[in-house]
Amino acid sequence: MTSPTTACKLRAALSRTSLQRWAFLALPLVGLLELTAHAIQTRSVASGDDWVTARAYVAAQAKPADLVAFAPRWADPIGREHFGPGLATIEREARPDETRFPRALEVSIRGAHLPAFDGWHRANEQRFGSVTVTTWENPAPAQVIDDLVSLVDPQHLRVSRGDADCNFVHGSPQSGNLGFGPTVPGDRFVCPSNGFVGVSVVADLDYVPHRCIFAPPPGNAPLRLRFADVRFGHTLHGHHALYVEAERDRKGAPVTIRFTTGGSTLGAVVHRDGEGWKPFELDTSALAGQKGDLEIEIASPGGERRLYCFEADTR
Amino acid sequence: MKLPSLRLPDRIGWRDHLIGASLGLVYLVWLLATARSLGFPRDEGVYFHAGAEYARWWRSLFERGSEALQQGAIDSAFSANHEHPALMKTLFGMSGWLFHDKWHVFSDASTAFRLPGMATAALAIWVTYLFGARAWSRRSGLVAAVLFALMPRVFFHAHLACFDVPITAMWILCIYVHWRALKVRSFGWILAVGVVFGLTLETKHNAWALPFVLVPHALFVQRHAFVRALKAGRVAIPGSVVSMAVVGPIVFLALWPYLWNDTLARIQFWVEFHLHHDYYNIEFLGKNYFSAPSPRSYLPVMVAATVPTVTLVLFFVGALDRGAVAFRRVRAWLRALFRRPPGDVPPRDPLETDLLLALSFLAAVFLFLFRSNTPIFGGTKHWMPAYPVLALYAGHGFDLAVTAMGRALPRLDRRRKLATQALLFACVTFGPLAITAHSHPFGLSSYVPLIGGTAGGADLGLNRQFWGYTTQDAAEEYLNPKAPRGATVFIHDTTWDAWARMQEEGRVRGDLRAVGAPAEAMFSLVQHELHMNEVDYSIWVADGTDAPAYIVEHDGVPIVSVYRRP
Repeated sequence: MTSPTTACKLRAALSRTSLQRWAFLALPLVGLLELTAHAIQTRSVASGDDWVTARAYVAAQAKPADLVAFAPRWADPIGREHFGPGLATIEREARPDETRFPRALEVSIRGAHLPAFDGWHRANEQRFGSVTVTTWENPAPAQVIDDLVSLVDPQHLRVSRGDADCNFVHGSPQSGNLGFGPTVPGDRFVCPSNGFVGVSVVADLDYVPHRCIFAPPPGNAPLRLRFADVRFGHTLHGHHALYVEAERDRKGAPVTIRFTTGGSTLGAVVHRDGEGWKPFELDTSALAGQKGDLEIEIASPGGERRLYCFEADTR
Repeated sequence: MKLPSLRLPDRIGWRDHLIGASLGLVYLVWLLATARSLGFPRDEGVYFHAGAEYARWWRSLFERGSEALQQGAIDSAFSANHEHPALMKTLFGMSGWLFHDKWHVFSDASTAFRLPGMATAALAIWVTYLFGARAWSRRSGLVAAVLFALMPRVFFHAHLACFDVPITAMWILCIYVHWRALKVRSFGWILAVGVVFGLTLETKHNAWALPFVLVPHALFVQRHAFVRALKAGRVAIPGSVVSMAVVGPIVFLALWPYLWNDTLARIQFWVEFHLHHDYYNIEFLGKNYFSAPSPRSYLPVMVAATVPTVTLVLFFVGALDRGAVAFRRVRAWLRALFRRPPGDVPPRDPLETDLLLALSFLAAVFLFLFRSNTPIFGGTKHWMPAYPVLALYAGHGFDLAVTAMGRALPRLDRRRKLATQALLFACVTFGPLAITAHSHPFGLSSYVPLIGGTAGGADLGLNRQFWGYTTQDAAEEYLNPKAPRGATVFIHDTTWDAWARMQEEGRVRGDLRAVGAPAEAMFSLVQHELHMNEVDYSIWVADGTDAPAYIVEHDGVPIVSVYRRP
């Protein structure tokens, strides 16, 4: 008969030996696990039916002011394909930020969530097969009064460059392949000799889309935009950037945007290459509740590939 | 009736060449069978054209003799893509001429152009088998060859008329021939080292790194003779090194007619072109890299994300075992140096195979692992010459597993033992086989289950594709059946040459017209890569819609979006 201590030692030695003896089984096990994981992963793709059912739910729930967004970001094209331009609008897809939306319907796969909703209240979650729709509530949505991007038309905006007025035209859009820059929209103000202003979508430094007023400063004379009868609030909130390839090398001249109304300057902000989609906010408390023309001057000491785009709203 | 014994003799010989060649042949057949479903990457179109030009010149040399040797005639043919050596492109062109134009073996000219590249994949498998069989065991060689073939990225690149798999094959062939030359030491083998090195130089510039493998290895193997000669006042340079230095450049120059004039200036251009190569975009962990510094973690992460995990685990097992042997040898040498008993000394390998394989592996990955200004735009293809060695160690790892299994199950009869070995083989190869087969034709988008497959790669922000080769999938799945007659298509990253060839071979409908801007197109394609997002947004504005009409997907991950103008 062996003592308990000896038995323990013997058992430990035996188990160590048998562990070593059968350790080779780890290799086929890895192979089988890999094969099983492959089979599971390739069969757990969200089906078209899941997307369609989720779409029906979102279509019933979403109000015009709500955001509809897709997660993870790489699934965005699939979301747009299934949801269509009526729900996945360019305004929602290429939003300046999320602050204006009181509610967001986030359509996601693989358990992903957009970091933009961190701090929002999760109001609801519905699953449609592999697609999940999460309803988020913004704890402090901004009340947008006037969005300048939606006022780019001859009724609300006049554009000039130097002393010359820029005419509004309904032309054809001008686009190109990689490196061309944002599409020059068909509806745009065209300046004599050089320069234009219109609404386009820019890829920022992180390749995120933003719908904005595409207004490249030509260099020798600033672009001037005059928005009529803008309703002011407490702040002028906005963002600006250059097209990614124009600013990623950090070699271009800075672009300055200056806001004035009634002869007094509200403020000026500078965008330097490498700053990406840069937010700005100007205090307009003194003008809150008033209406007036808002003049914007965009200038850059060097006009070389200054594919500049900005958006702003009053709130 | 008694069946003849299938037992192979211990000595590695012609039967092993037959086994290696058969493995390669099976792979070649698989590649040929799947070639038509793979579109044409940007580079391939350039090489098709250059190959046809080079082949035309070689034909004119035999038809018109000295007229073809004039600089004007040479330069008019070989100026095309003169930043890469001519060997593979010449073979692509000759294959296109013989197997398509003349003998009509392949109905697609592209398959004929691609054949030499595919054949080099078969060659790499053959050599890997032989190397493993001679270095460790036939079982090691077999598993190494199979696991090399079953790497999804190798399978993808093996289809193409490009240089990445050819340089992988020539690299391992060069290492193998050098190793054999050190063993056999015949004039024939020594001459072969020079010839193969020349051919490797003539395949792709990765070969510049080979002297850093072969010279120190040859000197180390023959160190005693080298020291003895030095003491006697002579320098005894190993024959294979002399052959590399003398025969290699002759073969290299002989096969690249473009260098026959202005030789030094053109070699200088070739070297400088690759030393100061442009950076192209590549996405890694959600960030777009378009210039130095490249992330140091790129190589290890991409290897882990694209090489089947079981292959990597077997590699680590095999490499650790050989590393332990090397450690014991170094320890014994150090002990002897300090006149202490040597302890447990493993048997000496006169060919220093582990050193050779380790140097070969390191030379293939060095620039990507240790220099942050090395461009990484080509992803894993740049360090593919390391993969046969990786597979060889994986083969050795398998061998160790079989040995351990034999110890664990000592009482099995021969038939059962064979059955369990076959089962073990199936366990470690079925996963890579399934992953590789499933990756086609989206080999660049595909990632291994360890990181979640294709969707996992997308989650991590790893590159989805490059070279615009997936337009063919968009055509097959959507444009060919849906587009109206004569419709215009913005072909995005696909080259005009590639589009024209796809139409010529009936992969894309002949009446569809390619255009260069979304605003001119009825249909617009976006081959999804992070930096290509800007093209997506351009289409939104040009078309007034952000909703694709169709998306080519792989495992639910967007590969190509197709927009139809409303």
